[in-house]
Amino acid sequence: MIKRLLALDGVLVVCQFRDDGALVGGYGMMDEAQMAGLAKFAHDYKRMVQGNADQLSMFTQMRGWTPPGGWLVRGPARSVCSVGNLVCVVDNAEASLNEIMQQLTEAAHW
Amino acid sequence: MPDLDSLMQLDGAMAAFRFSDKGELLEHRIAPGNELTPDILDLLCHVCVANMAIATMQARGWEKMTGMGGFYPIQGFSMVGFEWTAITGDGWGVVVPNARADFEAAWAALGQQGGGP
Amino acid sequence: MSIISELAAVRGVVAAGEYSYRGDRFTFEGQLDEDKARMASIMCRATTMAVHMQVDMMKGLGRDCGCAPARGWVVRGARFSVCVIANVFCFVDNEAASLNEVLELMRDKVPHQEGELV
Repeated sequence: MIKRLLALDGVLVVCQFRDDGALVGGYGMMDEAQMAGLAKFAHDYKRMVQGNADQLSMFTQMRGWTPPGGWLVRGPARSVCSVGNLVCVVDNAEASLNEIMQQLTEAAHW
Repeated sequence: MPDLDSLMQLDGAMAAFRFSDKGELLEHRIAPGNELTPDILDLLCHVCVANMAIATMQARGWEKMTGMGGFYPIQGFSMVGFEWTAITGDGWGVVVPNARADFEAAWAALGQQGGGP
Repeated sequence: MSIISELAAVRGVVAAGEYSYRGDRFTFEGQLDEDKARMASIMCRATTMAVHMQVDMMKGLGRDCGCAPARGWVVRGARFSVCVIANVFCFVDNEAASLNEVLELMRDKVPHQEGELV
């Protein structure tokens, strides 16, 4: 199912990971080992963002920060986006981040 | 003001380094006979800057929330690795083996006040 | 005597505690109230997770350079420092405590973390 996300403009790689960070499956321009690395990074980064969102919530006493919906890190040419247990690498020049985040959010609930 | 040569005089110093506010390695010394490389030090600097930023956020939040001051501004971050420890202050750092880590001496050499009793 | 009690008894240690990696429980001793100790455990756990991720990445990107798995971290504040080894944390007064003594005790007594952080 997640292979459909590769059809979106600018999506280079899409991976799904388990709650322990292991790769469930992936598609796109990476070999298996690189995808396993991406899955582990996304899993760890998700936990880190969750930790930071928990603290923001705790310090601000403002509702709505947690649980975090996802995260996005933008580099000069590529970005990494994640929602739930899905992560994708995108080419900034070709991708619509809005569309990708929306599609990731839908796919994360499949 | 710290300098690389004096940081390398710390007991067991494996490497000493200076880094930018963004975490880029600016200059370094590596003692012969260990596995550290400039690339590893560059990553380490980014780790330290990232955690100093997180700790600063935590100190701000904690102090406002609890009224218990004394954390902000954050003066240093240290990562206790499996075999060695990195001790960093404002733009400078040193790596030492865990068993020889002297935090008080290191933070004094890094220019932070207060080195214990 | 538990490591938490032992740490809390060290001169200059304001409080010591332990949190679960899952974030669902914590214990503490010392001069923090329950709310502050809960906040402290949340903060320490978050930084520990980040540090583990960072050193694992350093290990993965570089070679096995002796950094991973992370044993812990220290943040030095203006008056207080926070020391964490594995899932044990303590707050220390910079002037009254010897960080070396505290860290040596923690490194010696707190077991190495192995496997998944649960």
